[in-house]
Amino acid sequence: MIEELEGLGRLGEELCEEARRRSVRLFWRAQLRSIHSVAVQDGKTESSSRVTAGGHGVHVVTADGRSALASRDDFVPDAARDLLARAVEIADGGASLGATRAVVPDLPRTRGVAVPELVPAYDRIDLADTARRLTELEQEIRAGEDDVQIRVGFRADLDGWRILREDGSDVRFVIPRTVVSVRAAHRRAGRSHSASASAFSPSCRALGCGDFVTLLTKRARRAVELVRRLPDAPAHPSGSFPLVIDYALAKGLAHEAFGHASEADGFRSSVLARDGRFRTGTRVGADHVSIVDEPVADDHAWQPFSANGLTRDPVRIVDRGRLSEALADPWSAEAGGVPLRGSARAESYRSAPLPRMTNIRIEVDGAGPAPGDFEDYDPERVRSLLAEAGVFRRHREIRYLSGYSGGQVNTTSGEFVFNCKAIYVLDESSIRLHKPAIFSGSMFGALESVREAFGPLRLDALGYCGKWGQSVPSSGGSHYFLVLDAHPEVKLGGGA
Amino acid sequence: MTSSPHFERFIDLLRTREAAGAVRAWSAAMQEGRRLSLGIKDREIGNPHSPLRLSEDGGLHYRIVWDQGTYSAGRVERRTLADAPEEALDEARETAYDDPDAAWIPPAVPLPAVETHVAATARIAAGDTTPFAERLGVIRARFERSGARTWSGGCGASEGSLRYASSEGADYRTAGTGVSWYVGLDGELGDGHSGRHLDSDAEFDARLSRLFSLREIFSREATPPAPGTLPVLLDPGVVESYVLGTLFHHLSGSTVAHGEGRFSREDFGSEERLLRDDLELSHDPTVSLRRGTYRFTGEGVPAAPVTYVRGGRLVTPRLGLKYARRLGLEPNAAPAAYDCVRFTGAEVVPFAEGLRRAAGGIRVLGVLGVHTQDIASGDFSLAAPQSLAVGDEGETGRVRATISGNLFDVLRDRALRFVSFEGETTPGLLFSCRVDPK
Repeated sequence: MIEELEGLGRLGEELCEEARRRSVRLFWRAQLRSIHSVAVQDGKTESSSRVTAGGHGVHVVTADGRSALASRDDFVPDAARDLLARAVEIADGGASLGATRAVVPDLPRTRGVAVPELVPAYDRIDLADTARRLTELEQEIRAGEDDVQIRVGFRADLDGWRILREDGSDVRFVIPRTVVSVRAAHRRAGRSHSASASAFSPSCRALGCGDFVTLLTKRARRAVELVRRLPDAPAHPSGSFPLVIDYALAKGLAHEAFGHASEADGFRSSVLARDGRFRTGTRVGADHVSIVDEPVADDHAWQPFSANGLTRDPVRIVDRGRLSEALADPWSAEAGGVPLRGSARAESYRSAPLPRMTNIRIEVDGAGPAPGDFEDYDPERVRSLLAEAGVFRRHREIRYLSGYSGGQVNTTSGEFVFNCKAIYVLDESSIRLHKPAIFSGSMFGALESVREAFGPLRLDALGYCGKWGQSVPSSGGSHYFLVLDAHPEVKLGGGA
Repeated sequence: MTSSPHFERFIDLLRTREAAGAVRAWSAAMQEGRRLSLGIKDREIGNPHSPLRLSEDGGLHYRIVWDQGTYSAGRVERRTLADAPEEALDEARETAYDDPDAAWIPPAVPLPAVETHVAATARIAAGDTTPFAERLGVIRARFERSGARTWSGGCGASEGSLRYASSEGADYRTAGTGVSWYVGLDGELGDGHSGRHLDSDAEFDARLSRLFSLREIFSREATPPAPGTLPVLLDPGVVESYVLGTLFHHLSGSTVAHGEGRFSREDFGSEERLLRDDLELSHDPTVSLRRGTYRFTGEGVPAAPVTYVRGGRLVTPRLGLKYARRLGLEPNAAPAAYDCVRFTGAEVVPFAEGLRRAAGGIRVLGVLGVHTQDIASGDFSLAAPQSLAVGDEGETGRVRATISGNLFDVLRDRALRFVSFEGETTPGLLFSCRVDPK
């Protein structure tokens, strides 16, 4: 893949030359992708495949500001030249549709290469060997519990990009992502429950790494235990409660509640903007709370350059309770009144890039200690941590929301939802498991209610974000645990 | 749509290896298509975040049973078909594994004659944006009179072809078109159309009128009902995204075979009614010119009507080739879009009657968090910020609520009612569950 990306430069330069001749701005994106995947269940391989895909997108802005994106799944030079001509033609035709005119600002000429050392190994993945290892892993996770259905999946995704602009910018980068996931399901008395666990590594040889396997096995065993217990758990009533959430849920809170509303392409309707401009300086949360998004090396959502060929900068969205910076790209920064940050990402060469998050985190000043590894914190140990910190002196009971299972936001209204895998009601003498329930409310209420944090930052909560139908990897986290006071605009549940 | 020579070359290679004894059986399905689309973001049509887009792509899906009985399934992209088909086959062999349930190719059979292609739609997909320009003009004019703050949405058209050939003598071909438009107001309410051809001007106007009328009611804040077990009327869009999405997951052959859902193999064909005794769920992909219409699947299964649930009894799961064999049942044609799905009960009440029976409760227009639910349990706890309070005289205005319960309890409830909505093929559902207004 690395050699092929290098070789594509000539085609890109030729198109850039043609764009200059036609006096159009060009963002040329070539993508090569390979995905190896294997799934095993009940000791058998259920699927095994290697898929490759590639193509390029010609994104033009004409002299009068109309834009169009044309794409093909090959790199045939004649077809590529036709594609550019076609893109200019349909952009010019945008006038009849009332298409908006865009101004392309002066952009920094950017050249760079980012190819991690782990990338070449992705060309030598042995799927049969991977399947054997997954089968062993399934048995280790099952640990003799034959009434639980366990599916183990391996996915090694190599995502390579070459992006050129007619101003001489040229970046190429390759993102290696390997995820091993486990889904557990259990049926009893006609009722089924499921839970999942996963772990990420930039190395496609992660299954040969003891630390990785230990981490995955711990998470998976917890999922197995949960699906066995959930059928007997009661539903949780609706209401506003003091909460403790783990770092994965904190990632969900940052991503859903604030990250999306800070994406500058939505400022004409976002609650974090007024008259299309970011409300920089506005107080939106407690003074000791900040939210930061930035690409993190060796992370699931790492992306060193934007899909428009700019260097991706860190963005401090909330700085000690006040709005500070936004996720912005060339089309949205100036209009939104925020600095250009190279925040655009795209799912594929077919997609128009949008300002998107990478790895987002909540930081809390003065976080308390949480000794040891996060994975060793079961509900009992969480309760001990809270008891030692005196949290039960403030709240007789506290709801511990464990494990993130997705979320959604309406950036226009500021309403967000996300769900957990389990709810534990903790007090000084007991722990009671409840079924998961939706956690929803106003983003301002949620950030205002963050009271304290425990533990160091842990940023490996992984997910996928589906903004405008484009799925890109996301990640993030926070301190091991965040404590949220009850807030009338933030609710849990209800349950039937 | 120029890659047919590459397809021919690839299946020639398969035939050669079959004749040499390296391949026992095979199938190949080549899809090619092009699409034109346009987005609207906060009143801006075709800005760089949602530009006019034109795309062309294709690929070939193969299923190969090798000489030793091992099996490979995968996809070859168009450029590999052109440049390196031999290498693609060699790579397919390297990924082979033992999967006796998947390792078979269905016999060639006659296909149904159904219409899936509309020339007018194909012209849009090729670049004629005139029909979209006219529609966008109407939408913009309605928006400007409406008092809504912003609108977003999109429109698009596609044309594609699919050719399937196999070692069993099949050589199936089909071509189809698709077109859609969607309008969302203030990021909260939306409606649109998706089909093989554009809806008529009258249907378009009627749908827009319903949307803007709904927005008028939605713009008023209503006094929420007290929390409790209340009537809830789910709009068809919510029924599709949550109810049918969950039900079809539980009816998937994979879910059944692996014991990951509500139903087991023994439940299918049994006399036991696991859902309410009048409940029906079926699918017919042979009705011409629906979005979900097709002639055959990518595995070479011909389109034919399928009944999943009849009289509350389970008839068959959704079955591709692999899980059909594993469960000892016949493969069937999976739903491609909800406009070919029939979900109903003995009594379907008109919308006005449904709304009357929902008095004291809420009408749910949209929910957040469908993908966050534990789909295996059927338990739901969904935020419903786009809801309307329903009084004795109909909807009174907007409320926000959480709804919770268990879907399978709902689908067995005697009080469940199906409600017809104008312009929709999927019904709404009226039932009672826990409602917690905010």
